[in-house]
Amino acid sequence: MEALGYFLTPWLDPKLLFLVAAGTFAGVYVGAIPGLSVTMAVSILIGFTFTWDVYPALCLMVGIFMGGVYGGSRTAILLNIPGAPSAIATALDGYPLAQKGLAGEAIGISTVMSFVGGLIGIIVLAVAAPAVSDFALTFQPRDFMLLAILGILLVGSLSGESLVKGIFAGALGLLIGTVGMDPLTAEERFTFGFTQLWGGISFIAVMIGMFGVSEALAQLHHVDKTAVKQTISRIVPTWSSILKYLPLSLQTSSIGVIIGALPGTGGDIAALMAYDHAKRVTKNPEVPFGQGAREGLVAPETANNAAVGGAFIPMLTLGIPGDAVTAIMIGALYIHGLNPGPMLMIDQPQMFWFITGALVLANIFMLIFGLTGIRIFTRIVEMPRTVLLPLILLLSIVGAYAVNNAITDVYWMLAFGVLGYFMKSYGYQLGPVILGVILSRLLDENWRRAIISEQGSVAGLFRGIATSPLSLVLAAMVVMIFVSQTPVWRRFRRKIGLERIEHDQDAPGSGA
Amino acid sequence: MHDKRHRSAGEIAFNAVLFIVSLVLLWSAYAIAGFESLSSPGALPMAVALAMVVSSGLVLLDGWRHTQRDQTGFLKDILPPAVIVMMLFIAGYALLLVPLGFLPTSLLFLTLSILYLRRGGLIFALGVSAFALLLVYIVFRLIFTVLMPSGIVPEAEMLAAFGQLFGGAR
Repeated sequence: MEALGYFLTPWLDPKLLFLVAAGTFAGVYVGAIPGLSVTMAVSILIGFTFTWDVYPALCLMVGIFMGGVYGGSRTAILLNIPGAPSAIATALDGYPLAQKGLAGEAIGISTVMSFVGGLIGIIVLAVAAPAVSDFALTFQPRDFMLLAILGILLVGSLSGESLVKGIFAGALGLLIGTVGMDPLTAEERFTFGFTQLWGGISFIAVMIGMFGVSEALAQLHHVDKTAVKQTISRIVPTWSSILKYLPLSLQTSSIGVIIGALPGTGGDIAALMAYDHAKRVTKNPEVPFGQGAREGLVAPETANNAAVGGAFIPMLTLGIPGDAVTAIMIGALYIHGLNPGPMLMIDQPQMFWFITGALVLANIFMLIFGLTGIRIFTRIVEMPRTVLLPLILLLSIVGAYAVNNAITDVYWMLAFGVLGYFMKSYGYQLGPVILGVILSRLLDENWRRAIISEQGSVAGLFRGIATSPLSLVLAAMVVMIFVSQTPVWRRFRRKIGLERIEHDQDAPGSGA
Repeated sequence: MHDKRHRSAGEIAFNAVLFIVSLVLLWSAYAIAGFESLSSPGALPMAVALAMVVSSGLVLLDGWRHTQRDQTGFLKDILPPAVIVMMLFIAGYALLLVPLGFLPTSLLFLTLSILYLRRGGLIFALGVSAFALLLVYIVFRLIFTVLMPSGIVPEAEMLAAFGQLFGGAR
């Protein structure tokens, strides 16, 4: 009963209610504008709100977080530019839908499904937080390592043309992530004697370059074409279509919560794994995946919003961030004198229930703003490309510059923009590059921790994997991805009469 | 954009560049700590650089085997003039940003690119650019307080004067 009181605090106080609404509204647009990330918005917000009381500050940040994860899907659908890493998978089928003039329907489905996913994520957070955190506590460094490898390989294999090109892209991303001073030994890696490289290459610069600049450059090919006229007559999806995708959304929400709850993995991996799951379980999609399958939109959108609730589990109960945004949220909680970790639930249970309440509220506001603001938003697509493309390039430069106020980041962004443009042109996927950059540090640290804990013996590491059920499952999945790409496996599938489920080869949207 | 059975223009050259860069990076990764230990700072860089060398090598080999070319032309389909010009524009923007400042460089960049892409209409280009720049300025500079280089524009003084105008003299 006491918990319910804390849960309802943000609902009953008009000021807190307004702040959650304002945060969510801002989050939707921040997430949607390429070059503006939720990570950036939340970190800048800390600067504004650290003098505030903890409740209003949390309301604003929770709203931005929830709205931002959803907002990333908007530009993924309309422009094939994921506003956030968690929307990379959304672009795969969302953009083809918009190209067919079904942007309104795509946004409607993704909004309702984000709401469903978000709600399931929060329910799991409230009910199962202690159990899931106990499970995550048993993770060994080798499990984190396997999880990181699995994430990159999944993106590499599901995004299309060839696993070899996917591996190259993933390895390139991992390498970019290792540039700079080694965090453990302060040894220089790939700095080539430049002190500017000691701090590494800004991940935001790589992301904006690869997804902002290279996409804008690629769109110059079609600059003379008029933008697809967006038919937005039907935004609110029908009950029947919601009910149709409900079973799938429940499955992908579960994936989202679990992946979100694993430390180090967030909505981006959750969305990609859910997309892969949908591709496997949907035997006969109305439209092939990669060409505008609605299942391919439902899966990542439920999963990435469910991952928000999931990500809060380790953040609040263990003090371990699920991704970059939750890492900044942890910083914000520290500033406000809270100590996220196992003791938070015991010392300050009111804080846990307050955050849960604010999350539910933000989820509701996301649904309202998502379904009402579309008409204004789709105008962006109706803007002539001759104006839109220079503006995207300008925003990309501002975004890259703003992260560290460094012009070097702008140069990096441009360099990666040009590289990304050529990689796209020659059939390389850019998704694995970004994932590699994000996961590089996690993989590096956990590989070294795993190998040190086995006294430097690879045999010991394999023995450890073989004797732990969790590690064994993860390792088996990694092996499966390789096996599934070999000619032997394809022959085997044909022999037992299974058709290929992959339809995304040469798909127009798979370039994201 | 990419045909699986045929090579696009410039594909082998690009893949060859990736392969050579991967080799250089592998050498550079080896130079970090050599084969000192599996948990050295150079272990992961060497592993991923090796993965890059092997995968880019396989892609290059694959392209070599498929000798049939498709109908694409490098300056027509891969790198058309519009892309080259816009690449030069953004490179110029990045170079001028610090010395000239955010406002004049952005206005110049937007106007020139809209002019080039639309081929004509100076008034339209200038008007749209100025309006877009105003919006960007309000959102980023004033709401998000992103610090952009002010360059030749006495921005701080202008903002202060503006603030005094509305806030009254103190």
